[in-house]
Amino acid sequence: MQKKLFVLLSVLVLASMLLAACGSAPVATEAPAAPAATEAAPAATEAPAATAVPAQPDDKEVTLTLGSWRVDDVAAWEKIAAAFHAEYPNITLKFDPTNPPDYNAALRTQLETGTGPDLFFVRSFTVGRELFGAGYIASLKDLPGLTDAFSASAYAPWATDSGEPYAVPISAVSHGIYYNKELFAANGIEIPKTWEELMAASKKLLDAGVIPFANGTKDAWDINEVVMMQLIPSDIGGYEGRMAYLNGDRCFNSDEMVAAFQQIADLRPYVPSGFEATSYYDGQQLFAQGLAAMMFDGSWSINDFKRDSTDFEWGVFYPPALAGKDLYVTFHPDAAIGANAASANLDAAKTFLAWLETNEFSELLGNNIPGFFPMAKSAPALTDPIANDFMSFNNQAKGVDIRFVWEKLMEPPAGSVDAYTSLNNNVIAVLKGVETPKEAADAFNADVAAWYAPSAGCITK
Amino acid sequence: MSQANDSQKRKAGVFDVKDRRQTTWIFFLLPALLVYLIFMAIPLFDSLRLSLYTGKGYTPTTFVGFQNYIDLFTNPLWRERFFGAVKNTTIFFMIHMLVQNTLGLLFANLLSPNFKGRELFRTIIFTPATLSVLVVGFLWTLILNPNWGAINKILISVGLKQFALPWLGREGLALPIISLTSAWQWVGMPTVMFLAGLMNVPEELLEAARIDGASEWEIFWKIKFPLLKPVVGIVSILTFVDNFNAFDVVYAMAGAKGEPGYSTDLLATLFYRTGIAGEHPVGIPNMGMGAAIAGVTFFILMAGVLLWLYLSRRGAEDV
Repeated sequence: MQKKLFVLLSVLVLASMLLAACGSAPVATEAPAAPAATEAAPAATEAPAATAVPAQPDDKEVTLTLGSWRVDDVAAWEKIAAAFHAEYPNITLKFDPTNPPDYNAALRTQLETGTGPDLFFVRSFTVGRELFGAGYIASLKDLPGLTDAFSASAYAPWATDSGEPYAVPISAVSHGIYYNKELFAANGIEIPKTWEELMAASKKLLDAGVIPFANGTKDAWDINEVVMMQLIPSDIGGYEGRMAYLNGDRCFNSDEMVAAFQQIADLRPYVPSGFEATSYYDGQQLFAQGLAAMMFDGSWSINDFKRDSTDFEWGVFYPPALAGKDLYVTFHPDAAIGANAASANLDAAKTFLAWLETNEFSELLGNNIPGFFPMAKSAPALTDPIANDFMSFNNQAKGVDIRFVWEKLMEPPAGSVDAYTSLNNNVIAVLKGVETPKEAADAFNADVAAWYAPSAGCITK
Repeated sequence: MSQANDSQKRKAGVFDVKDRRQTTWIFFLLPALLVYLIFMAIPLFDSLRLSLYTGKGYTPTTFVGFQNYIDLFTNPLWRERFFGAVKNTTIFFMIHMLVQNTLGLLFANLLSPNFKGRELFRTIIFTPATLSVLVVGFLWTLILNPNWGAINKILISVGLKQFALPWLGREGLALPIISLTSAWQWVGMPTVMFLAGLMNVPEELLEAARIDGASEWEIFWKIKFPLLKPVVGIVSILTFVDNFNAFDVVYAMAGAKGEPGYSTDLLATLFYRTGIAGEHPVGIPNMGMGAAIAGVTFFILMAGVLLWLYLSRRGAEDV
């Protein structure tokens, strides 16, 4: 009988424990309030101390976490964090990156549950603006020096339409064609000055049994971001040209856009024979093995090429414009750092953000992570020669602009195709020969004009 | 034992030994039931609830009724993606049924008689199933690589250059190839299950048939296969459930977007892109719509399983 009672009781205890665990599930949504409360407690106890010694509010030891999508740059960021710590001994910076494809969703989840890092990398335009609009990023309109250290066009990708900044720009990326100098010399090829010369050089290489371009379409994004979007500015006339599309003055199937798609069609004979199943990394390996003479890629890959392409001399040049057109270069704002509006250490976080405006930071970033270019006005010269070559494109060009679809064209209403996806699908269709350049431009226009209000006049049915 | 006798005993006392035996089973069931409720049933219903909401981010908060489902079936873009995914998943499933399960049955038949090296072959056939799907997907992606993959190298070396295709890069080709890779990996599962089924076929029946002069072909179709029918049913339903939930092999070999051109986009990759990862490069998920896709997938699976239960029960009554 006693045994029976014991069994009954233990089952009841077990059940109530499980039910309690179950019951806590809905409470979990309120969990973020808990850390906030515990953080508020020390703050409250410190408040009188702060009033007693108002001159030294920075004295307490603070550890700031920095969220990022740059998993490859841990070593460089540890150097940067050490330099910052040397200057501000009471603030320690901890770099805590997330796998790039998961970054946006993971960060958002962290912010919503109150577990976000104190500081975090902010994507340009749409994604960052959306987080700021939702109240997760602290406004930086009072951050000293921000608007002096950066040009308006440098911080605009991380500011509201009315010009209120919410993140400090740290790096931009450039693009170009990596080329094998030995294969160029062996075939008597000089760096081409026009697109037509580039195609003639490609023909020469192909006839010599070399794959002219290593790019494929298996991963899809690269043909769009590192090929199409670095050709577009020269075709459409840079920033002014892009604004004509965004204002609705030009339709997305204009002759300039058809010309860009035509360039993709021109590349068709010169990509690897199995380009449909050649991935981004396959392309880099084809180049590294000396099987392909050129590859469209971003400045962020400098270190990959240095690591893999060790058997020959190589360099970079920007894809030239069509004969008779001016050269415009895609120099794209990539990353900025913002502060978590709910951070308990917002003052320390802003101290760090202000430090990002210094030349010391620009130098540390530009030289430790070649291919990511500091965006401050007074950024010093870089030590990496390839990185400097990328920077020189900006001086050779008539103008510099961002990637075509990044501003305003990636936030369609649910159930519509964004301009990035549409451009990507149509570029691949042209390269595969499924669509003509004109058909592709028409399809691109139909997708975007369907929802982008300024282009409403471009809808053709 | 009569009813009266039973109730008399019950009245005799709560702590009656016999009575205890009749009710204690509930307590043994309780832990499993609770685990099932907490980790399966509640999340499932919560996901169905979520499909009635919309909003950006982690917890969609705006109630929209069945709007997500209506959009899924009426908005041209969603409809195209969704029915594309249903079609691809169905093809994926059919290829598994046709190749994986047929080969499984064949291998089980070849392995059922006792011969030297039988264990070795059984191990070889089952080994791929013990590997990670990502590893298998990655290895086959390398083998199928158009630039340095073994398959195209072999084809070119024997003079079949025109057949050295970019296997994973062509619409219409990529999905069958990925399905075959998956079938290659999992063929050990139906093999083992059919083998177990064949072991249960009474030896006397086969012996009697042989004495009556039946050929091996006749023995298979007239004796073994009818007795294997319950196993065929279980293998089919497991394949169905696995395939309609399949995600990893496509993710490993074609990416979350179901490249090329959505031709390998399964229900699970569409769900992942919509509800969890978001579209590159913005990456803001639409959790409500994702939950709606998961909801429809759930109903497809439930319909399939109910159909199987109905058929297998009718089959049982026939026997």
